[in-house]
Amino acid sequence: MDQMILFLLFAATMLAAWLGRRALAFGLFGLSLVLSVADYLHHATDRLPLSF
Amino acid sequence: MTPRLAVTLNALGLYGIALVLVAAFVFQVALQELPCPLCLLQRVAFAALAVGPILNLRFGPRPSHYALSLLAAVLGAVFAMRQVLLHIAPGDPGYGSAVLGYHYYTWAFICFAAAIVLIAAILLFDRQFSAPGDAPRLGLFEKAAVWLVIGVTAANVLAVFAECGPSVCPDNPVSYWILQGS
Repeated sequence: MDQMILFLLFAATMLAAWLGRRALAFGLFGLSLVLSVADYLHHATDRLPLSF
Repeated sequence: MTPRLAVTLNALGLYGIALVLVAAFVFQVALQELPCPLCLLQRVAFAALAVGPILNLRFGPRPSHYALSLLAAVLGAVFAMRQVLLHIAPGDPGYGSAVLGYHYYTWAFICFAAAIVLIAAILLFDRQFSAPGDAPRLGLFEKAAVWLVIGVTAANVLAVFAECGPSVCPDNPVSYWILQGS
């Protein structure tokens, strides 16, 4: 779900940019980027099954 | 480089990003391999990479728009490099199938590194910024690129929901959440 929200936010950012809302697009981009980093920090320590 | 040429190159960049996201979908379905959270984050970074070119098409080329793409590319490279390092130990076969000898995350790192170099290169041409405030006149080629990349990003929203449902994606997904009830 976390990545779904990120995709949704970036899709909204693209739409805002395309519809001429430049300031809104920049704001949404910043928010999405910060949330992406937070999600990365959550998953960076995922336990992966070692296969060797 | 004229503003017109810069707009065309930005549209080509959008087609490139859409191609990468569609290719990831094709491999996901054809090879029946579910993307892990780190893989999905790399796709998110590819979507983020598209915001700068869309702003360039809508408002004309500006350094601040390229800056957004640079931030997205650096972040994507960090995500991809993290996954490369997770599988760098000798004997580790990697996550998922290899395509042309490299795994997806390695290709993702190469793509993000290439994007950083290309954006830096295009920033060298000052003449594209000569007419700030003039929105470029766009043709079907540019408009289709924007809608294609927005459509592919929206499709990713649905794909991630189908895979993970309303909860956090598992570290090592083995089946689609939407198919678990059937």
